[in-house]
Amino acid sequence: MFLAFALITLLGAFGMLLQKNIIVAGLFMVAAFFGVAGLFVLLANPVAAALQLIVYSGAIMVLVLFVIMMLSSHEEEAAEVGHPIQRWLSVLLALALAGGGVTLVLASKGVRQLAERGAAMPPAVTLQGVGAALFEGHVLGFEVAGLMLLAAMVGAVALTKRNL
Amino acid sequence: MTGMDAILHGGLQGYLVVALLLFAIGLAAVLLRRTLLMQFMGVELMLNAANVALLAFARFRGGDLQATVFYLFIIAVAACEAAVGLALIIGLYRHRDTTDSDRTASLKQ
Repeated sequence: MFLAFALITLLGAFGMLLQKNIIVAGLFMVAAFFGVAGLFVLLANPVAAALQLIVYSGAIMVLVLFVIMMLSSHEEEAAEVGHPIQRWLSVLLALALAGGGVTLVLASKGVRQLAERGAAMPPAVTLQGVGAALFEGHVLGFEVAGLMLLAAMVGAVALTKRNL
Repeated sequence: MTGMDAILHGGLQGYLVVALLLFAIGLAAVLLRRTLLMQFMGVELMLNAANVALLAFARFRGGDLQATVFYLFIIAVAACEAAVGLALIIGLYRHRDTTDSDRTASLKQ
């Protein structure tokens, strides 16, 4: 199960990276988000999985696809100036980061100990538990998040409206 | 469970490796693609990679609820970022008629 969801996630992300058409890339992105939601279910966290589906695959990707359709061209424009050296450097950087990180994780004793200590499946996260934890310790943060969403909404309207 | 076995059968290492690879792919999308929307999607991928790592650590620490609360806040910030970022892209497209980040390297008209 884990392997299936991990493959959906990584192949979706990789397809997005290679895809020329932006709409198809956005749909690959939705596949990657579905894979991540599956991983959250395997992590005994159905609340996070539901949130992932609703917010990412639902809201954010619909927003992105709307914007893609508002813009006229769906293909990447031809490069004005090629940056071959920078492109190879960035490929190298991404590969080095991935390779170095993976070797570090596999070599780390602390990670292995944590994996062995917590191997038993914990009880699934419930919405009730998350709500209690949220409102017992993070009421102020919750209110600030609401205010920030309002500010972002006003900002988005102010930025896109032609004449206020 | 050690090494390859943990990666294949969903040990903590497996989730961390998936998160790292997802982050690297997102970084590559930001660095290699020129369309601003593709770069935006790369940023979203990197954000998701961090979420996977956070919730994986929480599960292996006995199902910590605080991580899910943090995840909630991260998602709220991601939604704000998406709204403002896409608004900026639309505004830029109106001014410059392009969404290519190379063509919009200078802020002056």
